[in-house]
Amino acid sequence: MTIFLQVILDGLMNGMLYALVAVGLSLIWGVMDVINFGHGEFLMIAMYVSYWLGFIFHIDPLFSWLASGAFVFFLAALTYQLIIKHTVGKPPLSSLLATFGLAMVLKNICLNRFSPNFRLLSDTVLGGKVLHMGDVIVSMPQLITALFSLAVMAMVYVIIHRTRLGWTIQATAMDKEAAELMGINTEKIYLLVFGMGGACVGIAGGLMPSYLAVHPEVGTLFGLIAFVIVAMGGFGSIPGALLAALLIGLVEALSGFYIAPVFKYVAVFGLYLVVVMIRPKGFFGW
Amino acid sequence: MKIVLKRIVFLGVGLIFTLGLMAVPSSAEEKVIKIGTLFPLTGSCALAGQRCQASVDTAVDVINNVYADIDVPLAAQKGLLDGYRIEVVHADHQGKPDVGKSEAERLFNQEKVYAIIGSYNSAVTKPASFVAERKKKIFMCGCSSSAALTKRGYQYFFRMAPTDETESLEFVEVMKWLNEKHEKGLVTVGLIYENSEFGKHAADEGKKAVKDNGFKVVVDIPFNPGATNLNSEVQTLKAKNPDVVFGACLGGDYTLWVKTMKQMNWLPKVALNYCTGYQDPVITKQLGDDANYFMGGTGYSPEFAGLMPAVAAVEKIYMQKTDPSVPFDSDSIQEAVAMLILAQAIEKAGTLDYEKVKETLYANTWESPLSLGGKVAFSPGGQNIMAKSLITQLQNGSYKRIYPLDLADTKPVVPMTSWNRP
Repeated sequence: MTIFLQVILDGLMNGMLYALVAVGLSLIWGVMDVINFGHGEFLMIAMYVSYWLGFIFHIDPLFSWLASGAFVFFLAALTYQLIIKHTVGKPPLSSLLATFGLAMVLKNICLNRFSPNFRLLSDTVLGGKVLHMGDVIVSMPQLITALFSLAVMAMVYVIIHRTRLGWTIQATAMDKEAAELMGINTEKIYLLVFGMGGACVGIAGGLMPSYLAVHPEVGTLFGLIAFVIVAMGGFGSIPGALLAALLIGLVEALSGFYIAPVFKYVAVFGLYLVVVMIRPKGFFGW
Repeated sequence: MKIVLKRIVFLGVGLIFTLGLMAVPSSAEEKVIKIGTLFPLTGSCALAGQRCQASVDTAVDVINNVYADIDVPLAAQKGLLDGYRIEVVHADHQGKPDVGKSEAERLFNQEKVYAIIGSYNSAVTKPASFVAERKKKIFMCGCSSSAALTKRGYQYFFRMAPTDETESLEFVEVMKWLNEKHEKGLVTVGLIYENSEFGKHAADEGKKAVKDNGFKVVVDIPFNPGATNLNSEVQTLKAKNPDVVFGACLGGDYTLWVKTMKQMNWLPKVALNYCTGYQDPVITKQLGDDANYFMGGTGYSPEFAGLMPAVAAVEKIYMQKTDPSVPFDSDSIQEAVAMLILAQAIEKAGTLDYEKVKETLYANTWESPLSLGGKVAFSPGGQNIMAKSLITQLQNGSYKRIYPLDLADTKPVVPMTSWNRP
């Protein structure tokens, strides 16, 4: 029973992390119909920001997530201004290819500047800390990340559904032209949404060097899993992203332990296939 | 207008002709042997690949220039075959077998390299060396450890490092010694390895050695390299709680494995690693105290200076070629050995004829001060039968020699101390 609880807990906490990575992508995809292939690389950049702040200025990831979130917010806003703006309203393939190019550029800049070396922050506040709940062990870095995930998702949800800004974002997502006729500056909304999406993944990346090594390839698999979550949860649906992320975390942990560790990604992507075959718009897609 | 055009054409043709004439004598004078290197310069094993590349560059530096103070064959002379110098062409296989195969073809077909040195990942070495074998050209393999590579009956493939088979046998010998002399009660073994050519072969050899020597494999865990977490893997290990774990995890996967074991507050009594992240001094430094008490096969580390005195002077050159500057590690040094042995064979054969160089490689025992064994000799299939490694244990961040006993300098800490270290 202890092992089962441990596996479930690990799955939930991994799911929360995936949710935090995916929520930004979901937001961008839902509002702008833009598939951001650079999402995993945004995560990687945020991890580097957090790492260097820790390495040079000894700022712990527990605090540097603020800086990495802000950095990726501006990076994403800049990306919108320089690249995405010119693809909005064009065939979906153009934004997809543009962000794919962006991902290559970002990855190769990091390879060039920081080399492919794996970098670990040692002696972080949370590093190696665990909480014992009976025989069940809770990893503190993952627990804190999970709590941040819930907080960020709640904040994004409140912004989208309970504020005037959120209503304008929803209006822009539903009918851009009608929103413009109502006086909404959709350009600014898009800019803000792209920035917000970046900030979410920036916060996730900022926290992760507490327990994960940083290197130019680190965002690739996270980016892929984020796509799966967004597609499963439904484009633009924050509760959908949370549900899908938790489901993926659980499937990964349960299949990894009870079937075979090597089977865990097979199960995750298999589940994704089944969901999109039965419900192509995902759990909560509109 | 026509006259102007004619003059331009005339001048252009004249210029090309003159440049062509100038180029002919220079290329005829230059005696160059092009050697290709094929390593993962990007991707998850890039750090190791870049060090391997720097290692070949170091060996080439030693061969091409005169280093009277270096006690390595060919160091005291300039170049080979009375005036040839070696030029290196580097290629990146990204850790991908298909890329490795096509890059090997490019190196031979377009770059016209004489031989290839590589490829770190056994999974890439396999198809890349197939290209060389088909072309009847030499492939020098430094550190790829899959035993299968030298069991294919290839004629042009030569490997310097010990294989996973050798290391697996060493691992079980250490287990037997710990049981007999130290009464450690080691019975069960778990395997965790990346699901690749390297990892799978290491695990196969490990399982065979364990079973043949009366121990029992209780858990067998392949994992996907570059995973986002290794929770299920470590949870499975913890649930089965083997006395000994054989690990084959490279680079960032190794750090993730160690960190996850710490997070789950579990350790086996003994953790023995194949040529993995364990041997990487940078990863060891980054892991700090968490790296301590892990064990593994090691062909070289700076702590072996007393056993391999010729290395220090070569290592100085190598450290200038690496960023951040690091000493040789167990894998990278084998690539320098590969380059030096090939150069010695060319020099001894007195020709660049592939058949003669190949036969010379097989027919001789080569001086190799950069190898722990001190010499290199090849059996049919290309395995270096003089290849040696020691079992080391990380203690206070240093690789301490613990087995075989005649080369040991420290007693092992077994069982590994718990994570709550003072």
